[in-house]
Amino acid sequence: MNWLDLSSSAFIAAFFLYCFGFLFYVMAIAGRKWSHGDPVRHERKWGRIAFTVSALGLAAQLTFFFTRWIGQGHIPVSNMYEFMTFLGMAVMIAFVVIILIYRKPILGMVTLPLVIIIISYASVFPQEVQPLIPALNSYWLKIHVTTAALGEAFLAVGFAAGLLHLLRTVDFSSNTASAKKERFWLEATLFMLLVACGFIVSVFGFRMAGYEAEFKQETVDVTGAGQAVSETETVIYSLPPIVQPFNSTVIQADAFLGVDKPLAEAPSWMKGINAGRKLNTVVWSLLTGAVLYGLLRLIFRKRLSAVIHPLTTDIDPDDLDEISYRAIAIGFPIFTLGALIFAMIWAQIAWSRFWGWDPKEVWALITWLFYSAYLHLRLSRGWHGKRSSWLTVIGFVIIMFTLIGVNLVIAGLHSYAGTK
Amino acid sequence: MFQNTKCKCGHQNPTGTVLCEACGRTLGEEFSDAASELLEMRYDGAARRSQKSNPSIIDRVWNFFSSVKVAVYLIIITLVGASLGTIYPQESSFITTQNLANYYRDTYGTSGEIYYALGLSHTFESWWFVLLLVMIGTSLVICSLDRVLPLYRALNRQQILKHESFLLRQRASYSGTVEGDLTEWIDRFQVQAKKRHYKVIRKDNAFLAEKNRFSRWGPYINHIGLILFLLAVLGRAVPAWEMDEYVTIPEGDTVRVEGTNYFLKNEKFTVEYYEDDELPKELRGTIRAKLYRTDAVMYECSANCSSSETAKLQEVERHPIEVNSPLEYKGLKVYQFDFDNTPVLREVKPIIEDKATGKTYGPFTLAMRNPETSYEVGPYKLELRQNFMEFGIGEDGQPITKSRDPKAPAFIFMLSGPGLAEGGEPYIYFPMQKDKVAFSQDDLNAGLADRFEIRVQGMENVNFVEYTTFLNIRKDLAMPFVWVGLGISMLGLVMGAYWHHRRIWLRVDGNRITIGAHTNKNWYGMRADLAAALKAAGNEVDPKSLDNGGNRT
Repeated sequence: MNWLDLSSSAFIAAFFLYCFGFLFYVMAIAGRKWSHGDPVRHERKWGRIAFTVSALGLAAQLTFFFTRWIGQGHIPVSNMYEFMTFLGMAVMIAFVVIILIYRKPILGMVTLPLVIIIISYASVFPQEVQPLIPALNSYWLKIHVTTAALGEAFLAVGFAAGLLHLLRTVDFSSNTASAKKERFWLEATLFMLLVACGFIVSVFGFRMAGYEAEFKQETVDVTGAGQAVSETETVIYSLPPIVQPFNSTVIQADAFLGVDKPLAEAPSWMKGINAGRKLNTVVWSLLTGAVLYGLLRLIFRKRLSAVIHPLTTDIDPDDLDEISYRAIAIGFPIFTLGALIFAMIWAQIAWSRFWGWDPKEVWALITWLFYSAYLHLRLSRGWHGKRSSWLTVIGFVIIMFTLIGVNLVIAGLHSYAGTK
Repeated sequence: MFQNTKCKCGHQNPTGTVLCEACGRTLGEEFSDAASELLEMRYDGAARRSQKSNPSIIDRVWNFFSSVKVAVYLIIITLVGASLGTIYPQESSFITTQNLANYYRDTYGTSGEIYYALGLSHTFESWWFVLLLVMIGTSLVICSLDRVLPLYRALNRQQILKHESFLLRQRASYSGTVEGDLTEWIDRFQVQAKKRHYKVIRKDNAFLAEKNRFSRWGPYINHIGLILFLLAVLGRAVPAWEMDEYVTIPEGDTVRVEGTNYFLKNEKFTVEYYEDDELPKELRGTIRAKLYRTDAVMYECSANCSSSETAKLQEVERHPIEVNSPLEYKGLKVYQFDFDNTPVLREVKPIIEDKATGKTYGPFTLAMRNPETSYEVGPYKLELRQNFMEFGIGEDGQPITKSRDPKAPAFIFMLSGPGLAEGGEPYIYFPMQKDKVAFSQDDLNAGLADRFEIRVQGMENVNFVEYTTFLNIRKDLAMPFVWVGLGISMLGLVMGAYWHHRRIWLRVDGNRITIGAHTNKNWYGMRADLAAALKAAGNEVDPKSLDNGGNRT
């Protein structure tokens, strides 16, 4: 067995351990109600089991990481698959640190699914070992990417605690406009997490089914000298085309549910590499997410937030608020160091300027500015509690956009980290 | 509004004080009304400079920038503005010969046109964005000064004995009766506090335990670092502080760096690609670069620096420049920027043919760059009258050179010798076959072309450079300040985020003790410290019960 095979096995082990860790955390929290014994002892016992299993998962993922490092000869953070798995691992590390300080098993109930979503998302990207391009061949790759991801991981745990705080404090009985608005947005946040699941489910579903559709797309480009050049490209979809690329014709499309023709065409302003395919994927994710959401609603016959809310009532909301704030206070300096300072040092060495307003740089700055606004707002009393938790939700959206959205939507110097 | 700033305890406080500097009573509100409310402990309740009565204009500007609310607004506006700058590529990120307005319209349609018209295509250089950064810088200075001095004073002259209301209205507080000897109880409490690294000041039966006060300075140190960073960034606008030059060096050539006495030689350029067996299946057959390297030598010139031929050069540095490894010499850094593998003609070895006799003379060596002014070839003499690197015909019909790279070189010689007119006859020579055809060399030479020809025999007489490297030479004297600023800022962040300022006040009234505790963050740790000390002293409590609440809004 070589290093890379060992690495893949360790990854699968980590994935399942995380899934079990999540189930045990749910047992620890939900089981308080229906276990016959003392609820505090029940939570402590199952919390310990859940923590052990999750920690074993982290150990397995560390094995995955280091064996892949040895196997491929350079640190596995150089493409989207490697980076996202690393981010998932970093969130686990941050989670372990925070839970060792605060010992609140309920945090695992939210953080573990987040980690599972992140590493499943990673698996959507090509997993082959790829050799380094010259721009990445620097020890700053190790330092910059790992530190930035660890900082973001703590901010993500801040989000997990903030979300829990909202699930705990949002008013489910009152009929005031503000309570309704809060319920709506909380449910929307959960829905977005399901859309992320929907993305993963649809990609893997159709990948297993071996689905493929092929298009010929004609694009007109304007060169630097102002001449229009038209090119034809073949675009391959691995999800059934609901939206076909702009200005394209079907070469071949497998039938799905008897339909083998696209239903719509991407608008012309959606430029960029594979814009049509990305739009199609977004549509599929939303659809699958909506189906998942609908199924869950059918099962529980309640808003999802209202399903989770009763599980959270045993914890003091102030504790959750503090955990969230603490995680962010820990993560912010790490993020500053990794995503800005180390990034500037590396940019100075590799690109001869420490700052160039590249989209990725700008979005790292936006993340930083957002969290510094968060920290300053906490100076005033009105921005503790719920409002501050909403900020952690927005902050998490910004982080995810910086990590994923920028690569998919905006091309820049960091585009080598994108998907194929 | 008139505010009475004299406290019940007799202490006269400055205007704007929230908590009496001496005893900690709340000022400006009736004590009994708000007894259950928690105290606002920001800056220890000290008055800030911005809270003067009767503000002048300067005070008003100061007050504006001293507000954290304004700072947050500035941050949010900057954040939104910056995000607008990422919608479409910025002007500085691409090269086009086209009119920019047309470029944005043609590439991105109507939205691109609007984007350009709004000036968002250069967001980060626009006046409003720079103004925002300057305002943030101002806010950093003023906010910090407004708070750090009063806070420093307040923490530096703390009174040990606080009013009961001050203690009970802290977020963590405790009040209880003590069995047994009171002094011993306090001793035990104090030992435990010291174990947890608190510094304890005891005055009669009141005491103050405090630790990690330095962490309060973290945010201000961070701000100082950021200010230095912003100043350094502004300093880069000073021309003498910065240099950003590009040089193009064909393999083997030595080129002067514009505006300096340095010359750079490209000894050898290497580009390597991954072999198929190094690539995963999916990437086989694709070109994936592995390495770009220029083996460069830097020279310093001491005399005759106008051309690399005549210059007196002294080698000062030698370094294989790679993408992540620039050459460095005295603050100057040379980066691998790009390369070109279009072959460039370096020199040719042509011969002269007398078509009447069929006899050839030569060859002679003709360099594209810096050719000799005259050549003796057999009985013939060639005087160089004019040469062009990239030959072209100007608008007025006269020959011109379009660039300084030998892309389409041409030479005009005055050819003299046997069979030629007295004083010579002009002959234009294009070393490259394609140019010879394109510019119809034979027609230009008219009658002479039938009698004489200058041409190259065989490829062995043509010398090409395969690779040309593009290097970026930079000097940035502000960089040390940028790094120092960032370092200070980071130090401040770490101080402020990873240590917590904690204080515990204790007072005794009869056999009742009253304790208040304060920290700027991590109440969980604060309560744990307090509970541990209480337990050691003999009053065991659940840490959570010490919480007076606080975040509830």
